[in-house]
Amino acid sequence: MTLLRLALRNIGRNRRRTLLTAGIVAFGFAALTLAGGFVAQSFEALAEGTVRGGVGHLQIASPELFSGTEAETLEHGLGDSSALARRAEADPAVREVLRRIDFFGLAGTGGSALPFLGLGVEPEAEARSMDTPDLVTAGRWLGAAEDDEAVLGGGLARALAVGPGDWVTLFAMTVDGVLNARDVEVVGVAGLPVRELDDRYLAVPLASADRLLQADGTVSKLVLLVDDPDRAAAVGERLVATLRAEGATVDFRTWQELAEFYRQVRTLYLGIFGFLGAVLVLIVLLAAANSMLMVATERTREIGTLRALGMKPRGVVRLFALEGLTQGALGCGAGAALSLALREVVNRSHLLMPAPPGVAHPVELFIRFYPQAYGIALAGMLAAGLLATWWPAHRAARLPIVEALAHV
Amino acid sequence: MTSPPLLEGRSLRRVYRLGRVEVVAVDGVDVSVSPADFLVLEGPSGSGKTTLLNLLGLLDEPDRGTLLWEGSPVAGLDENARSELRRDRFGFVFQTFNLVPVLSAAENVELPMALAGTSREARRARARDLLAAVGLADKASVRPDLLSGGERQRVAIARALANDARLLLADEPTGNLDSRTAEEILDLLRRLHEERGMACVVATHDPLVRRRATRVLSLRDGRLEQAA
Repeated sequence: MTLLRLALRNIGRNRRRTLLTAGIVAFGFAALTLAGGFVAQSFEALAEGTVRGGVGHLQIASPELFSGTEAETLEHGLGDSSALARRAEADPAVREVLRRIDFFGLAGTGGSALPFLGLGVEPEAEARSMDTPDLVTAGRWLGAAEDDEAVLGGGLARALAVGPGDWVTLFAMTVDGVLNARDVEVVGVAGLPVRELDDRYLAVPLASADRLLQADGTVSKLVLLVDDPDRAAAVGERLVATLRAEGATVDFRTWQELAEFYRQVRTLYLGIFGFLGAVLVLIVLLAAANSMLMVATERTREIGTLRALGMKPRGVVRLFALEGLTQGALGCGAGAALSLALREVVNRSHLLMPAPPGVAHPVELFIRFYPQAYGIALAGMLAAGLLATWWPAHRAARLPIVEALAHV
Repeated sequence: MTSPPLLEGRSLRRVYRLGRVEVVAVDGVDVSVSPADFLVLEGPSGSGKTTLLNLLGLLDEPDRGTLLWEGSPVAGLDENARSELRRDRFGFVFQTFNLVPVLSAAENVELPMALAGTSREARRARARDLLAAVGLADKASVRPDLLSGGERQRVAIARALANDARLLLADEPTGNLDSRTAEEILDLLRRLHEERGMACVVATHDPLVRRRATRVLSLRDGRLEQAA
């Protein structure tokens, strides 16, 4: 007769109460794991959206660009960008290298001019690797790399009252500080999810931006996609070391470092999830504690008998703890089964959720199997089960034996 | 020749406080128990029999007085040491049997041995022997709720003997039994006392018990009235 066997027999005494308590634990476990799976899926979608929204896995640029101390467009640009891109592409871990020019200026039509945030891109490579081309709602994405054409954010296009087929004039300072202007044809209008960006976004082929800024092959940065996003930092370190050894003044940032919006959303979600998790654990704790208190009261005389027979106070505490843990484990087992079943049902239902932050379109509700959530829920529920026994167990262990034996 | 005392209480006093009222349950009792004793504590309800038995069984502590186990005072023992002493040297039999309802008869007998860390094989063998000794060899796997009152008390007695107790303390062991079953239980206790050389202290007001005593202590209002 081990303590564990006694604990198992004890939790089978009042089956209805045990089922109720284990049911509450199961509900808490399932809720935590389902929420965890949903949040994990949301993080993954948000991360993917961030990377494919233009940030890439890794960016290589001058240290001044990253520190925000570049006063003029391309003041610390990457000269001979084609050679740098080829060097980066040669790394076996790199899947794609996109050259970009960040610039700003004024976009004008006959009647008005508005400021824009310009992006010089390689149209084909962007279409291959990024989501922005998919956001074009009217017209098309940029075509031939050499043409003077542009895709405007929806807000900017509306403000300028232009659409596909219209022409706008772009004004910007060249790298030598001279005002330059070029006419570009609006070939597409994109609906960007962030309104502030939608009101200012303007993309032109890299060659077109180069002509406008007279950049002579200089770009702001290289945006890289790698095979294994988790190893982006290692790839960045390796590439930067190679490029520095060849005389380039460059640095790198991973997408996690660059994606401030992603970090904010993640922190918010984790806060909400943590709060809900704490509430669930508290509910389970209170339910289990109530159950344990009833158990301790009902079994007072029996505890007195065990103490008379020589069970030490800590033995009583252990017995209760084992009962709490066993009950918690049973609940977690049932909760895991419930969670997996509900996950299947939800995932097969193809329910649509409103667009999450930073995403332009509704997304299908999908709950990922997220083992860490199961681990956290298991730890949380077992801790709640254990904690719930603490006071009843200590109370029972401290009770004078003769008082316990006289309990009716 | 008199055996040296196994347990000795000197000037034991125990007072209970019920609100502002103090009830003196045991007042200045001197008692000694030797291995050859089948000692009966008798007296009317409220005379202090159970309180004295609880003090002797280390289930309670006196407010005053000294209790010696094999000549050593037990007052300085902490709760764990008292638990170990009860587990290894004492056996208890209660009026209401106090068996653990979720355990079978054999498992109930095994319980004190499990607390003492006895191996499973040794526990099982000894529980089997003890149940046979109390006439319940065929009831080993039966749970207490399916046993009669007399059978339950036999299981409780077997449990009290599990760790080779040197002193068995029984509080009204026949209180919940019919007279024929009570006789059987008392005969069993007496037989075990003689066969195993185990001291017995029985608190009771049942005259059937008195007849089997080697010594009788009468209590009234917490004081020792006479020794017979």
